[in-house]
Amino acid sequence: MIIAAVRAEWFKLVRRRALWVTIGLMLVLAVGIEYLLVYVVATHPPARAAGAGVALAAAKNALYPASVIKKSVANVSSLIGIFALIVGVLAQGSEYSWGTVKTAWVQLPGRISIVVGQLTSLAILSLVMALALIAVDSLASFLIGTLDSQSSTWPSALDFLKGIGAAWLILYFLAVLGFGLATLFKQSAMAIGLGLAYVLVIENLVFSLLGNLGDPWNQIQQWFPISNAGYLQDSFGKVNSAVTVTIKSAAPASATHAVIVLGLWVIGIAVVSAGVVRVRDVN
Amino acid sequence: MSTLQATVAPSEPTQNLVETRGLAKKYGAGVLALQGLNLTIHRGEVYGLLGPNGAGKTTTLRLLTGLIKPSSGSATVAGGSPGSGQSLAHVGAMVETPAFWPYLSGRDNLRLLARYCRLPDRRVATVLAEVAMTEPADRAVGTYSTGMKQRLGVAAALLKDPALLILDEPTNGLDPQGIVEFRDLIKNIGQGERTVLLSSHLLSEVEQICTRVGVIRRGALVAEGTIDEIRGGSQLMIRAQPVDLARRVLEEAVGAENVTLRDGAFGLKVDMGQTASIAKLLVTAGVDLTELRPGERSLEDVFMELTGTEGGL
Repeated sequence: MIIAAVRAEWFKLVRRRALWVTIGLMLVLAVGIEYLLVYVVATHPPARAAGAGVALAAAKNALYPASVIKKSVANVSSLIGIFALIVGVLAQGSEYSWGTVKTAWVQLPGRISIVVGQLTSLAILSLVMALALIAVDSLASFLIGTLDSQSSTWPSALDFLKGIGAAWLILYFLAVLGFGLATLFKQSAMAIGLGLAYVLVIENLVFSLLGNLGDPWNQIQQWFPISNAGYLQDSFGKVNSAVTVTIKSAAPASATHAVIVLGLWVIGIAVVSAGVVRVRDVN
Repeated sequence: MSTLQATVAPSEPTQNLVETRGLAKKYGAGVLALQGLNLTIHRGEVYGLLGPNGAGKTTTLRLLTGLIKPSSGSATVAGGSPGSGQSLAHVGAMVETPAFWPYLSGRDNLRLLARYCRLPDRRVATVLAEVAMTEPADRAVGTYSTGMKQRLGVAAALLKDPALLILDEPTNGLDPQGIVEFRDLIKNIGQGERTVLLSSHLLSEVEQICTRVGVIRRGALVAEGTIDEIRGGSQLMIRAQPVDLARRVLEEAVGAENVTLRDGAFGLKVDMGQTASIAKLLVTAGVDLTELRPGERSLEDVFMELTGTEGGL
């Protein structure tokens, strides 16, 4: 029954134009802001940027193929990741607004199988997003490298695999977070609003303030998801970029720790969502 | 059992496809939507659940399909608890307004549901033809009229070739021609072994389609039986003036509980042998008798009595 539910959910997901538009916007943003904009600013620095020559040169250097993985992963939990959050919200929130939860829940697989199908489909879609992100970033870095006559030194295949894995895990966590919030609130608007606030502001702000109070708070921060997404990103190396959103990570943890914590958050949100769906009355 | 059913149904449901015992549902704020419902629906019958708006019909169907959980009591639907895999394998349902994925075509909506149930795509073409929806099937559901959505809802419910078909107010929003077509469709669907449970507040619809009827009022079943049993045989129809005086005389003669007044005509639940004496009583009391005849109680009369509904339904 779970395989049937996965097939059905995937059938539904891939035919939804809004999701592909969202993913398309993500890719345009990734290339447009992280590559095109930085390239233009670094190549033609404005007069008031005099003195920023070293930083601009470093930012431009990060656009070449050698840095493609760390640059791709750098903004996955923020600028790029919000699109994964939106995809997760849409995958579940719309079901409530259209009333199709009722249509689906009286079919054969049952509620839990359908949730498993939805989360599996989101996992596949998150992988598609991670692959597409790294593919367009690679293409952009190749074109910029060629334009600047830079040698095309690429990261190793293992680095690519690690980068895809990290991007997938962060994107999938954010999609599951969106799914969980939409399940909880039975709608999209509230889930997107709260999700964005948490991802972009709340966790960072709270730990920025609490971090000043000492070590115990830094220890606690190591178990929160956006911080761990930051640790995972940082494990690929810091990127010099004018547009990188910095995650405040007072006490960085290892990549392994970050992967485990993010995995636990994914499982936790999935279990809570399934539990809510199982007991919920649908009127 | 067909090959199709064998794909989705591991075991044959029992003879009674629906059995509820003391089924109750209380919503938040203490609203008691259903209280102690005992319902038995046999295999092969077309059962109509009748009741005015807010009587608990939709709540009952939601409970039977597992969309909501009962506050107390139990139910067995097609051999399993409501919403369980065993039950859902044999049940096709359209509860309230059918909801579909608006960006998909009608056909793709059914293909999606077929995937949930591990059914082949060719089944989709069969049910679309059954509800006369083959032609518009490739248009996005967002462009469908209410009637088309209703038809697609029935097609979706038929997809599993279910032993039990649950339809909630299936003719809601249809024009008169659509209602007639739909009635014929449900009659066809309900032939043979298939059991149909439909809720409605349209008495003519239920009268023409259903083999057995349950009348529900304020969350409780107040009458159940065949249409003839519910109607309870014939009655004496009287038109007389002045109405108030006639009513007083009749109520004194046969008891208030046996007298109904609708559209200016009295209906009396009495033995037809009393006709002459009742006429004599009225005339003696100074009542002008304009009509006196034996008549059959309509389902509407019975419904009004049972549910206490005075205005429209």
